[in-house]
Amino acid sequence: MRHILCFGNPLHGDDGFGYAVYQRLAGLALPDDLRLFDVGTPGLAALTLFQGCDDVLIIDACRSGGEAGRLSRPLPETVMAEASLAGHGVGVGYILQALAALPETMPRIHIIAVETATVTAFRPGLSAAVLKAVDEVVVLLRPYFLDDAA
Amino acid sequence: MARIDVNINLNRVEGDLEIGLTLEDGVVTEARTIGTLYRGFEQIMVGRTPRDALVITPRVCGICGTAHLYSAVLALEQAWQVPVPANATRIRNLCLIAEGLQNDFRQTFLFFAPDFCNPRYNRQPWFTEALAAFEPFRGAIYLETLATTRRVVEIVAHFGGQWPHSSYMLPGGVTLSADMRRILACRAVLDEVQRWYEQRIVGASLDDWLALDSADAYFGWLEASAHADSGLGLLSRCARSLGLHRLAAGTPHMLSSGSWCDPEHWAFNAEVRLLPGGFYNGDTGQIEAVDQQLINEHVRHSWFRPYQGGRHPWQGETVPDFQPNSDRYTWAKAPRYGDKVVQTGPLAELLIAGDALITSLHAAEGGNAWLRQFARVRRVALELLHARRMLDELALNMHEPHFLDMPKSRELDGEGYGLVMAARGILGHWLRIKNGQVDKYQIVTPTAWSASPRDSAGIPGHWEQSLVGLSVQDPDNPVEIGHIIRSHDPCLVCTVHMLDTGKRVRFAP
Repeated sequence: MRHILCFGNPLHGDDGFGYAVYQRLAGLALPDDLRLFDVGTPGLAALTLFQGCDDVLIIDACRSGGEAGRLSRPLPETVMAEASLAGHGVGVGYILQALAALPETMPRIHIIAVETATVTAFRPGLSAAVLKAVDEVVVLLRPYFLDDAA
Repeated sequence: MARIDVNINLNRVEGDLEIGLTLEDGVVTEARTIGTLYRGFEQIMVGRTPRDALVITPRVCGICGTAHLYSAVLALEQAWQVPVPANATRIRNLCLIAEGLQNDFRQTFLFFAPDFCNPRYNRQPWFTEALAAFEPFRGAIYLETLATTRRVVEIVAHFGGQWPHSSYMLPGGVTLSADMRRILACRAVLDEVQRWYEQRIVGASLDDWLALDSADAYFGWLEASAHADSGLGLLSRCARSLGLHRLAAGTPHMLSSGSWCDPEHWAFNAEVRLLPGGFYNGDTGQIEAVDQQLINEHVRHSWFRPYQGGRHPWQGETVPDFQPNSDRYTWAKAPRYGDKVVQTGPLAELLIAGDALITSLHAAEGGNAWLRQFARVRRVALELLHARRMLDELALNMHEPHFLDMPKSRELDGEGYGLVMAARGILGHWLRIKNGQVDKYQIVTPTAWSASPRDSAGIPGHWEQSLVGLSVQDPDNPVEIGHIIRSHDPCLVCTVHMLDTGKRVRFAP
C-alpha cells in the first residue's frame, strides 16, 4: 500500500501548496494500492497516516531560501532537523522524528517540497510561481496513478 | 530596580495566544493574557441550520473535537427535548474518554515533563533520571507515550470513522452501534493502555492506586521505589524539589460540570453525571451545585462590541470591534461564575468529584502547579475505570438501540445548552433556534476560563493571577514560566519575547 500525504493550510498563502496538489490529484482514479490524503495541519494525529503502508510520499511547502516555486526532494533526515513552518502545528520534521523513534519499521518516505514565495497568515491563494509548481507535481506523479506502478 | 517586559507567545494548535509579563527585580508583577486571533465560530453558526453545529463546532479544536461534538449534541437535544438511549451515551462517553487519555498523556509526558531536562537542572540529583525518562525522542517514557497515544484515539475512529474532527453524534444517539468486533478492538486498546499506566506511569495496580486516599500515604509512596521510579513518581520528585507544589495557585475557585453523562439516568432535563460536578467556593471551602445561569462573560477588556458587566451566553454576543490604543488587549472574553474568577480542568474535576487523594493533597498544600499536573495523571485512572465500565455495559446491552429516530416535527424553535468536561475543563455550548435557524450560538471553552483577561471590575483571569509573584532566575531561560504555563495545559507553543533585547525563547510542545 502507498500513501500520498498532502500537508499544509490553504488559508496561509503558499502553505496551501499541498492542498492544491490534493485537489488536482483527487480528480484522478486511484489504483487499489494507493490512498490519497488531504492532511492539513494535524500535529501528532498524522502519525497514524504512516501506518498500514510501505511507501509514503509527502507533499509540502518549505522555505529554505531557494527560488520560489522550485521543487525539491529533501531527504527525511534533513527535514527532521528543520523547524516547523509557522501555522503547521507540530510540523513534518517533528512527525518524522517521532516515527524514527517508534519501535516499528518506518515505511519508505519520499518528500516533494516546493519553495514558497509568500506565507502570510490568513491570506489564501498561491503565488504564481507555486501555482505553476502544482502543475509540475501533478505531471510528476502521473506514474503513481497507473495500476502497475511500483 | 530592573523592570523588564516579557511577552510569551502561545502560538499554535487552536488560535494564537500571548502572555505579556512585567518583571521587577526578577519577579512577575503583572500578567496579561492576549488572544491575538479573532476566531468567530459563534458568528459562523448564526443563520445556519442547527444540525450544522455537529459538523462545524468539532473544528473549534484539533485536540478536543469530541468534546465540542458532545456539547453541541447535548444543546440540540435539550432544545428539541430529544431522548437519548443509554448505549449512545456509553459510546459518547467512551470516545470522550479516549480523547481525554491522549491529551492527558501527551500533555504530561511530551510537553510538561521534558522541561525537567533543561540544562539549568544538570546539578539536580534527579537530572540523569529525568533525561533517561523524559528527554525528547530519547527518554523511555517520552517514546512510550508517543506509541501509546497513537493507539488510544483509534477508539474514536472505531465509532466516528476518524479523529479528530469527527461528527458521529446526532440528536437521539450516535451513527454506529457497538458490535462485538468494535468492543473487542476497543478493549484491546484499553488493556494495553492500562498495562502501561500501571507498570510504567504509577508503578501500581489500578485498584491499589485508586485506593490511595491521603497526602501522607502518597508521600510514603514517593519514598518507595515502585512509585518513585515510575513516570509520575519521577515527575513528582522533580516538580516538588523545584518547589512547584508551592507555586501558581491562581484563583482558589473551581468549576466542573461533572464528568460523563450517566447512561441510565441522563436526559435533556436531568443532569446526572458519573462523576458529580459543582462549584468549589475557594472562600468557604464548600462545594455548591452548578447553576449554568450564573455563567456570564465580560468584554470590558476585550476587542468586542462593548456592553455593560457580564452577560449569560443566551444574552451574549461575539461581535468583533478592534479598539487599538485603548485598555482593551485581547480577542478573548472574560467568563465568570457569578462574580468569581474560576479555574477548571482535572484538579477542579477531581476535587469537586470527591477524589480522596486529590482532596487530601489540596487540603494539605492548596492549589499549585504540581497538583494541577498530578491531577491530570490521576484522572487517567478514573478514565480507564469508566471506559472499561462503558465497554462492559455495551457488551451486556448490545441488543439495545444506539439511536432513536425523531420526527422532523420535533425540530422546533427553542433554547438549549450542553456542558461537558473536556480534557482542559468545563466546555459549554449555548444555542437559540428561531425560525428553524440558529439565532444565537455561544461557546465558552476551558481555555476561555483559564486565559481570561480582566473583567468589568478589573479582576485578572486565572492564568494572569497564577503568574504574579513568580521569580524568574534567568529571563533568557525562563523555564519557571514554562512549568507554570504548561501546568495549565495550554497545548500551544510558548515563545518568550524579551522586549528590551528582542530575544525570543521558545517552548515548543
